[in-house]
Amino acid sequence: MLSRRIFQFLIVYLAGVGILFAIKISMGLSDYVIPGPADIWIAVEAVFIRYIKDVLNTFSVAVVGQALSIFLALVVGIIGRQATWFGAMIKVAAYNVQAYPIVAIAPILFILLGDGVFTRLVIAAMICYFPLLLSVIGIMSEPVADIEHFYRVTGRLRWQLEVKIRAFENLNKLTTVISGSATLAMAGAIVSEFIAADAGIGYSIRVALYQSDLSKILVALFIIGITLSLYQGLLELLGAGLKKVWTTN
Amino acid sequence: MITCRNLTFQYPSADALLFSGLDLTFDRPGFHALFGPSGIGKTTLAKIISGDLKASSGTVTLTTEKPCLYTFNRERLPGWSPVGRHIEKTTPAGREALREKLIPLFGLSDLLGLRFSQLSMGQCNRVNLLRYLLQDFDVLIMDESLANVDEPTRQAILYTLKTLFPKRLFLYISHNVVEVARFCDEIAVFRGAHQIPPVLQLPGLNHLAADPEPGADVLSHVMLEIMNAV
Repeated sequence: MLSRRIFQFLIVYLAGVGILFAIKISMGLSDYVIPGPADIWIAVEAVFIRYIKDVLNTFSVAVVGQALSIFLALVVGIIGRQATWFGAMIKVAAYNVQAYPIVAIAPILFILLGDGVFTRLVIAAMICYFPLLLSVIGIMSEPVADIEHFYRVTGRLRWQLEVKIRAFENLNKLTTVISGSATLAMAGAIVSEFIAADAGIGYSIRVALYQSDLSKILVALFIIGITLSLYQGLLELLGAGLKKVWTTN
Repeated sequence: MITCRNLTFQYPSADALLFSGLDLTFDRPGFHALFGPSGIGKTTLAKIISGDLKASSGTVTLTTEKPCLYTFNRERLPGWSPVGRHIEKTTPAGREALREKLIPLFGLSDLLGLRFSQLSMGQCNRVNLLRYLLQDFDVLIMDESLANVDEPTRQAILYTLKTLFPKRLFLYISHNVVEVARFCDEIAVFRGAHQIPPVLQLPGLNHLAADPEPGADVLSHVMLEIMNAV
């Protein structure tokens, strides 16, 4: 899983860089617009270590934001699964709120909360929260009738058992959703850094952008991609391990 | 024990009534059957009797103290622990001896350490039926609960049910006319919404393990009556 993720990223990344070089050569663009391999290597030597630290900074914000989102989405999703007015209200609210681009309200958060870690955390959490919530509500509100029937008719179906059955039956789906939300959390953290933060890889990319330095941006993209691939691969491994433990004990 | 009067039912998405003016009575415990072609309303009636569905009109009266349970053949056990542990956990207090008696009779002794997903379809159905038999009930509706179970095992299980639970009422939904004719006491034959009456109740042979083998002509006669009623 892990090696496959990294391999897939390397293919996409190298293909992207290859296309850039092809455009550069075919259109005769200068190194200022699209740098050559030598310029990129110079950028690697200059900023690689610093960018790793920046990516880890952004990544830590994204992971904490994602963890908060997962926790909140599970709590709200479990409550919202019920066919009550409250459950229906949560579902409708989630569907409607997720239709709005949350990142558009990021400037308001920076105005109200300042440009520190907390604001980045809130934006990262908000961006991955609603897609997560919709998936969790979808999974939790779908009865697994052929398993639940016995427990229901014999009066044993408590909410904990209902949630356990639905989570177990949809563990692969939940793992995929959680793994996918890592990208959203990272995107949220980076976008928040683009907007106003003074730290993280988003901030470094913004500086490189002002310098029109594509080499540094390519280095940043490489480190972001590798970090995310590793993280998502680990999440998938964790999901598979959890399922294995759950089905063999 | 079970009385259905003037029952009518139509699924919201359907154009026609599934059945109307359906009257049915099972007034004694024993092993009875709901028989008829697929899609004619046996499962729907079973769900109405057990309270899972509400009839469009008419009444269902159950004069039993303990619940009426409905089980169907595609039920599954959760996959997070072995079959044996699930059965143990869902055995009500005081039924442990019955459980230990039923497990070998159902041919499940060697399967208790396996997960439900590792069982064959027939084994799955046996495990599922066994856990229902351990519960509190006066009426158990078995919707093709012995599908995919081999003939000798199925026969042994049916005799076991009739011997160990003489005071319970079983409603057996099956498409096997031989089985229904041989083992059931009363057979409710579904004839379709356009027929009057929509359901005919016929006597079966109600064969027990200790009884002499029924003659082929007697069995054929009951089977013919059932098939003519459909």
